[in-house]
Amino acid sequence: MLRAAVAKRRGAFALDVAVEAAAGAVLVVVGESGAGKTTLLRLLAGLDAPDTGRIAVEGRVWFDASAGVAVPPWEREIGFVAQDYALFPHLTVRDNVAFGVRAQGLPRREARARADAALERMGVGALAPRRPAELSGGQQQRVALARATVTEPRLLLLDEPLSALDLGSRQAVRGELRSLLAQLACATVFVTHSPVDATVFGDTIAVIESGALTQVGARDELLRHPRSPYVATLLGVNLLRGTLIGRETGGVAHVRTAEGLLAVADPGVDGDVYVTVNPQEITLSPEPPAGSAQNVFRGAVLEIVPEPPAGDRVRVALATSPPLVAEVTRQAVDALGLRPGMPVHASFKATGVKAYR
Amino acid sequence: MPARSRRRGRWWAIGVAVAVGALLAFLGLPLASLVIRVPPGVLWARLLTPASLAALRLSLVTSVLSTLAVVALGLPAAYVLATRPFRGRRVLEVLVELPMVLPPTVAGIGLLLAFGRAGLAGRVLGWFGLSIPFTTLAVVLAQLFVSCPFFIAAATAGLREVDGRYADAAATLRADPGHAFRRVLLPLALPSVVAGAAMSWARALGEFGATIMFAGNLPGRTQTLPLAVYMGLQTDLESAVALSVLLLILSFTVLLGLRLAHRTPRVPWLGRAAGGGR
Repeated sequence: MLRAAVAKRRGAFALDVAVEAAAGAVLVVVGESGAGKTTLLRLLAGLDAPDTGRIAVEGRVWFDASAGVAVPPWEREIGFVAQDYALFPHLTVRDNVAFGVRAQGLPRREARARADAALERMGVGALAPRRPAELSGGQQQRVALARATVTEPRLLLLDEPLSALDLGSRQAVRGELRSLLAQLACATVFVTHSPVDATVFGDTIAVIESGALTQVGARDELLRHPRSPYVATLLGVNLLRGTLIGRETGGVAHVRTAEGLLAVADPGVDGDVYVTVNPQEITLSPEPPAGSAQNVFRGAVLEIVPEPPAGDRVRVALATSPPLVAEVTRQAVDALGLRPGMPVHASFKATGVKAYR
Repeated sequence: MPARSRRRGRWWAIGVAVAVGALLAFLGLPLASLVIRVPPGVLWARLLTPASLAALRLSLVTSVLSTLAVVALGLPAAYVLATRPFRGRRVLEVLVELPMVLPPTVAGIGLLLAFGRAGLAGRVLGWFGLSIPFTTLAVVLAQLFVSCPFFIAAATAGLREVDGRYADAAATLRADPGHAFRRVLLPLALPSVVAGAAMSWARALGEFGATIMFAGNLPGRTQTLPLAVYMGLQTDLESAVALSVLLLILSFTVLLGLRLAHRTPRVPWLGRAAGGGR
């Protein structure tokens, strides 16, 4: 069990986060580069010291600013896999993996036996006598994982473990890494900029933006109820914040956002809520719509972007207030003659708007 | 126009060639004169005289001892300079570099004043009946003083060039700083450390000024090769030339060896470790 709350200021950048990870579970910290992911890992590893905060793993305090505790990295019982693996170039693969147990005081022969067993488990036993420079990216990654886990750490820290791999091996390694992490008894903190990796690996996902966690939750909860712009963008939904100000019969409620009123499906709660509008629920028309849609916003088309994979669906960014993204078919774009700068009406029903706390 | 610029280009090339030729002649002439002055047979005979052999033996023993001392004392200093940012590091760096440009005679006087009978350290040693000046130990200390900057500069640069990722990886793998230094930092910086030791040894071998001030010129005890050359100039020119040629060959071999070692790394990781990313 990891419990950490740390803050670190470096120039204009400030990191201030609290994270938890249960033994055997994987916490994925996902965010853009520069959001503070690597800084967080270095603080947990003890390679840098937080300005304030506390780090404890399985009841052992590794850092406590107010108590003046700062356990150095080599006494923290961690496993750390750096982004580019940092295998020692002057040692064989076997001695790289044996390094940690040797440093713990195990005799050379025993340490090498442990290393060989760890390499065998990772399926790279045959590489033991080689040098790191002779290995492919995927092989280096497996060796780095063997090196980090052979010491049986209490906390495993992975910094973008898949980003140094080419696309082909990434697919294969992703599956292997997932089953490896599932077998580990210790807590794992996995940082990545890849939303795909976040959802594949994270029992719990923490979204980090500009040095702060904007949303933390179980994967399913996070995907169902985005509460951060990052997750909303990732899922491709429109995310708004507002206050529920009243409800009418028929399961419709009204939410006041900073930029206007919305009719939403009654969430059954009061107060401040998040609101998501699925882009596929939004209809575009040049004239005000005649139908039953309770929400109508007028604005100019900003941008038209084809959606992968086939591009037969198109995302249309609108300069409405609040700003919305609609998703329509390519035929609709042609039929309406949509082009940037053209004023349109965006309409959607209250039932297409989800509100939650 | 093109003809004019072509003409200019030719003059430039001629000018450079003349300057380089003049320099090579100036550097080469004295060296060549040394080598051709005395026939090889006579050189060999002069080297094998008891006086020459004693100087050679003393030079080898003292320079090896001083190089060992330089490594033992200089490596921790290089480690601190390379890895710890601290207040006053610049001052320490200058202090450590100073003997490189200081006239060796000044170093000799300083050593004499420090370790002489009335000196700060000399007085303390005197209580135990010890006296350093004009002993073989004084030769070693003089060499240590003048040659340590060469080692420390090279070793510091080498240690500083080792990628910080490796030190981080070692720390997360249970290695305390001492273990990390022995198993990671030092092996990766080894080419620079060895090069520094070789430079330092070559400098110690050629040391003259500080030695003659601090250790004197006692045959068999403090008369090293360079001192024997100096004495030979007044009494026996052929011996002086023979010893000079020997020193010339040793120095040339060390420098050439260092160049070759750097151009053709023997171990595959040397190139990466020595020139690795910052």
